[in-house]
Formats: sequence, C-alpha cells, structure tokens
Amino acid sequence: MLRVENLSKEFHSGRGKNAKTVQAVKNLSFQCKPGEIYGLLGPNGAGKTTTLRCLSTLIKPTSGNAWIDQFNVLDHGQMFRSKIGFLTSDMKLDGYFSPDYMMNWFGRLNKMQDSEIEQRKEKLFVDLKMTDFIHKKIDELSSGMKQKTAVAISLIHDPDVIIFDEPTNGLDIVTSKSVTDFLVSRAESGKIVILSTHNMTIAEKLCDRFGILVEGELKEEGTLSGIIQGSDWDNLEDVFFSYIMPDSTVGGEHV
Amino acid sequence: MFRDSVIIMRKEMRRMFTDRRLLFMLVVLPLVMLPLMYSFMGKANKTRMAEINSYSSRITVCQGQGGGEVSDLFLESLSMLNAHIETSDLEQIDSLKQRVIDKDIELLIVMPGDMNGDILDNTVLNFSIFYNSTGDYSNYAFDQVRSSFSAVNDAIVRLRILEMGMSEDMLKAYTINKFLAADEISDLAEEGSVMGKLIGVMMPFFIVIYLFANSMKVGLDSVAGEKERGTLAMLLVNQVSRLSIVLGKMISVMVAAIVGAVSSAIGLKIASRYLIDMVGDSGASISEYTMGTTAILQFSIIVIPLAILISSLVLVVSTFARNVKEGQGMIMPVYIAVMVMGVTTMQTGDVPPEWMRMAPVFNSLVVLKDIFMQNALWSNVIFSLATSLVVSALLIFVTLRMFNDERVLFRI
Ligand SMILES: Nc1ncnc2c1ncn2[C@@H]1O[C@H](COP(=O)(O)OP(=O)(O)OP(=O)(O)O)[C@@H](O)[C@H]1O
Ligand SMILES: [Mg+2]
Repeated sequence: MLRVENLSKEFHSGRGKNAKTVQAVKNLSFQCKPGEIYGLLGPNGAGKTTTLRCLSTLIKPTSGNAWIDQFNVLDHGQMFRSKIGFLTSDMKLDGYFSPDYMMNWFGRLNKMQDSEIEQRKEKLFVDLKMTDFIHKKIDELSSGMKQKTAVAISLIHDPDVIIFDEPTNGLDIVTSKSVTDFLVSRAESGKIVILSTHNMTIAEKLCDRFGILVEGELKEEGTLSGIIQGSDWDNLEDVFFSYIMPDSTVGGEHV
Repeated sequence: MFRDSVIIMRKEMRRMFTDRRLLFMLVVLPLVMLPLMYSFMGKANKTRMAEINSYSSRITVCQGQGGGEVSDLFLESLSMLNAHIETSDLEQIDSLKQRVIDKDIELLIVMPGDMNGDILDNTVLNFSIFYNSTGDYSNYAFDQVRSSFSAVNDAIVRLRILEMGMSEDMLKAYTINKFLAADEISDLAEEGSVMGKLIGVMMPFFIVIYLFANSMKVGLDSVAGEKERGTLAMLLVNQVSRLSIVLGKMISVMVAAIVGAVSSAIGLKIASRYLIDMVGDSGASISEYTMGTTAILQFSIIVIPLAILISSLVLVVSTFARNVKEGQGMIMPVYIAVMVMGVTTMQTGDVPPEWMRMAPVFNSLVVLKDIFMQNALWSNVIFSLATSLVVSALLIFVTLRMFNDERVLFRI
C-alpha cells in the first residue's frame, strides 16, 4: 500500500529581488493498492516528475509525506528506497560497463546475494528481451536497449512499488510494448506501479486508475469509466484537454 | 556501510585499471614524465656547455699609448684563452661598443695607457670591460677574462711582496683542505645523503603535484561528471547511504592519487641519474641512495593522509560543481596554491619557518623533505598526520552535507 499525504513541493530560485518561488506540487494526496497501475497524467510542467522525485527521496517534500507500509520518505529514506524501483528519463547509466556488470553492481549495492542476483538477472533479461546485448558496453547500445537496461537495473531488487517517469518516451512501438507488457505482468504479480505520461493511448490501455495533475494540483482522480462518466466527454483525452484548456472545445463533441 | 563503500570503490577501480587512456594518464605519465624531462634537459645542458667551451670568443682590445711589459703580461694571459684577440684604437670605441651590442664581438677591453709607470708608482690600473649580459658567450668570455687577469694580478702582487723582502705567505691568512691525508675525504655527508638532499628538495613538489593531478582527473569526474551525465541519481535512489557513497568515491580518488605519487616518486628516482648530470655534483650517486624502513614507514604515514586530504578537497569541489568544467574552474586556484606551496617547500632551507610546520599540506611537504634527507622527527610526522586527518574529516563532513542537500546535488 502506498499513501501520499498532502504532499507539497516549492522550489526557490534566485536571490534578493530576483527571488522566485515555484509551487510545483500543491497538497497532493492519493493511494495505490498492490496490483494496481496508477497513471499520473498532466501537461508539461504539471509537477509529475517533481511528485515522483519526492517519492524516490531524491528531493524532500516541503510539506506532507508519503508512506509505503510503515515506512515514510522523511524518516526512513534508505528503507523506503529499498521498497521502490525508480526511473526517470534524466537518469542515465555509466556507459563504460555492460548491462550485466551494472546489474551485478546494483544488486550488490541492494544487499542481494550473488545467487539471488543471478536468478533475478535471468528473469529480467528474458522478460525484457535483453539477452542479445547484456555483455556489450552500454555506450554502444541503442536508446531502446539503454532504456530496457535502465528498467531492469531499477528493478533488480524486486521492489514492491515501481515508480517510472515516462518510461516509454522515445521508444519505438515494439520496445514500448515490451516495457508496458512487463509492467502489466509486474502489477499482476501484486506490485504497485505508478507511472507518469502524456501519452493518453498508452495510459488508457495500461492504467487501472488515473490522477490528472495540472499546475501541481490533482484535478481529477478515478478509473477510466469513472472519470468519463463524471464528465461531459467520452474519452480521456478530451477530459484531459478540458482541464488544461477549459475554454477550448478542441477534440470531441459534447455528449 | 563499509561494504557498500568497497562495492562502489571496486567499480571505480575497475574503470581506472581497465581504461587504457585513464591508466596512461594516471600511471604511465607521472612515471615517464620526469625521466624524459630531465634526460632532455640534462642532454640539452651538456651540449650547451660543450658548445660554450668549444666556442672561440671574439675579444677586441683597445690600448692607450706606451703599454710596455705589463701590458704584454695581460695580453699574453688573454692569448691563453680560446679566443680571437683583435686590437684596435681608442677612437673606434663607440663603434666597438655597438659591435658588442650587436653581438658581433663578445668583449671590448679598454686598457689604460702607461701601465708600466702605474705599476711602478703603485697606482691601481683601471680596465674597462664592456660585455653584453644577454649573450651567453659574452658572459662566459667575461668570466674567463676576469680570472685570467686575476692570475696576472696575483703574479704582480707576489713580485711586489718578494721585492719588499717579505714572504709570499703574507698574502694568505689561511688555506682550506690543503693538507688532508690522501685517504681523507672532506665531505662527510653520509653515503646516499647527498642524493637524499637532491631528491628531498624535488620530491615533495612532484609528489604533491601528482597527488593533485590524479585526484583531479578521477575526482572531478566521480561526482561532478556523474551529476552532469545523470548517472549519480541512479545510484542515489538505491539503498546505499550517502556516507557510503562519499567514502567509496573518496577511497578510489585517493588510490588514484597515491598511484600518481608513487609513480612520480619512482620516476624521479629514475630521473635522478640525469639530475646528477645537470647539477654536476660528483659526491652524489644514485645507487647509494636507498630509503630505510623507517623512512618508508614515515613516507607512508605522510603520503597516505595527504592523499586523503587532497582527494577530499577535490571531492568537495566536485560535489559542489554543476559539471566537470565548472569543477575545473573552481579547483584551479587551489591547484595553483598547492603548486606554490610545493615550490616554497623546495626553496626553504634546512630549517623551515615554524608556521610551515603548522599549516596543513605545507607541514606534510616539509616533513616529506625531512624524510628524504633522513632527518625527520617522529613528532613532526605525527603532527602532520593528525592535521591531514582532521582537515580531511572536516572536508568529508562538508561533502556529506552537500550530498544531503538537493539544491547542491540537483543544480542543473
Ligand atoms: N530543480 C528545480 N528548481 C526549480 N524549479 C523546478 C525544479 N524542478 C522542477 N521545477 C519546476 O517545477 C514545476 C514542475 O516541474 P516537473 O518537472 O515536475 O513537471 P512535469 O510534470 O514532470 O513536466 P514534463 O511533462 O515536462 O516532464 C515546473 O514549473 C518546473 O519549472
Ligand atoms: Mg517530467
């Protein structure tokens, strides 16, 4: 069980006269159950990455907190991190080494036994169709292969909660499908998956529940049918647009 | 915690020792740099000396009327030099001076007129010698002429003394080392300590330079570089404590630093054969210079903490900097300061000022010098060790604080 409670994040930049405060996330609360894929939707700058980074403990929330079971981000950083697999598009891998080496390395850092690492690697390499390139230098891989490697590494320790920021960005449909299929299989085995995306098609297919984030605020939350029923629109994309551009009638017709 | 540091360190080590370019920079370069430099400088120096010695200087002598025997005495002494001697007259003096300026001739000697008469009157002779200090040959010719003339001076003075019926021993109040027994050697320096002094003067400088250079190569990349490439976040979201990360990185930077220091020390040892050619000290011999166990122990006790100190210093900067380039900019002043410290240590005499023994980095350098000269005091060794460790701990604490500060770690 993952609980996010009244999470807020402010960024301060500049000094003196130029000082600026950005309210990136405002009082955000949501929950996810095991087996659930939760989609965080929102336009650029909505605060998706910021929210997920708070969940990764990379940055500290200005106020509020997030819990996995009895552990929270503020007090149990290291324990909390052991429960999550986290990946954003600006996280990269050391290109000098091979996927295999990096998997071993991160496995050991996550306090796994070598035998455990071997088993886990075997499963991930097959599931993500990586076997062809596990011994190549990461620098020499295509961006799709790199992304698969990053996904595999972030999940080496088999975390309960998978938090991915735009995991399919820049991937072709085949690679994208192998990543999303993998995420579905993870959820089916009882993990919590949280992902952010702007891609409505993927979101509709993949996610069990959605939160629509605009300017740091959660404007809408629910299942696909729940959200559509409660709105004037007949698809997720139009609901999404109605929040970003309330005055426009872009997209579908009124029902 | 230490287990994680070791895992982190091992990856960095693997990188260091399998990447050929990095290995070349960290190990080979400090090793071959000094021997190459010194053998080149030694050779250049030798050929230059040979050139100067075989060069036949052009000297022009102008003389007033009535030189006489005394003048011949001086001219004769000049003729013993490897030089072309021309004579000219005083009216030409301005154009002759111009030739000295143009390096067309090396020296212009103007001799006084009635030298015989002056000598008989006991009047001091006044020579004018014009030279050009920007010309190596001119300086060299000047020195040669001066010593030839001084021999003539001695001869004249001796004659005067003898004429007065006194002993020529009147001219000397003392001699030095003239009556040593055949098997007696005046330089009582212990075997190897002459070389020790030579090495002791140079070594701290090169050690600190390579400690720093190697720390910089590895250290700036290990945090600032990882920030820049986005690989640091990947590590931070795992269940590793920040302290393990900082220590792991610090140890690997330190190993690179020590590898550089040891390489350059071996390099300097190899280079010392050329060094002897350059200084031309006959008493010094490399084969005789060996460090005793105490010296090696003291050396390690100083160099390892110094490496820790310098790596921590580089890590602080590396953690604060947004990227490698910014890090390089920020570390440059520190690098220059350390170089200046190295040079200062090289130039202080055997007894350095007291503050040098107090200041971190400085005191290690001064003690290193003592160690090579085989006269280091344990109290100084321990004090330097303590200051290095205290300052390092402080720097690691600062780095750790920055690692927990998202504003520093995620300044993009
Ligand atoms: N380190 C930072 N310092 C200052 N402001 C920041 C920082 N990170 C994010 N912001 C600001 O916070 C807001 C939310 O950014 P965030 O990256 O979370 O959006 P996002 O929903 O992930 O957008 P995108 O879809 O473009 O990735 C933006 O206004 C952004 O400028
Ligand atoms: Mg984002």
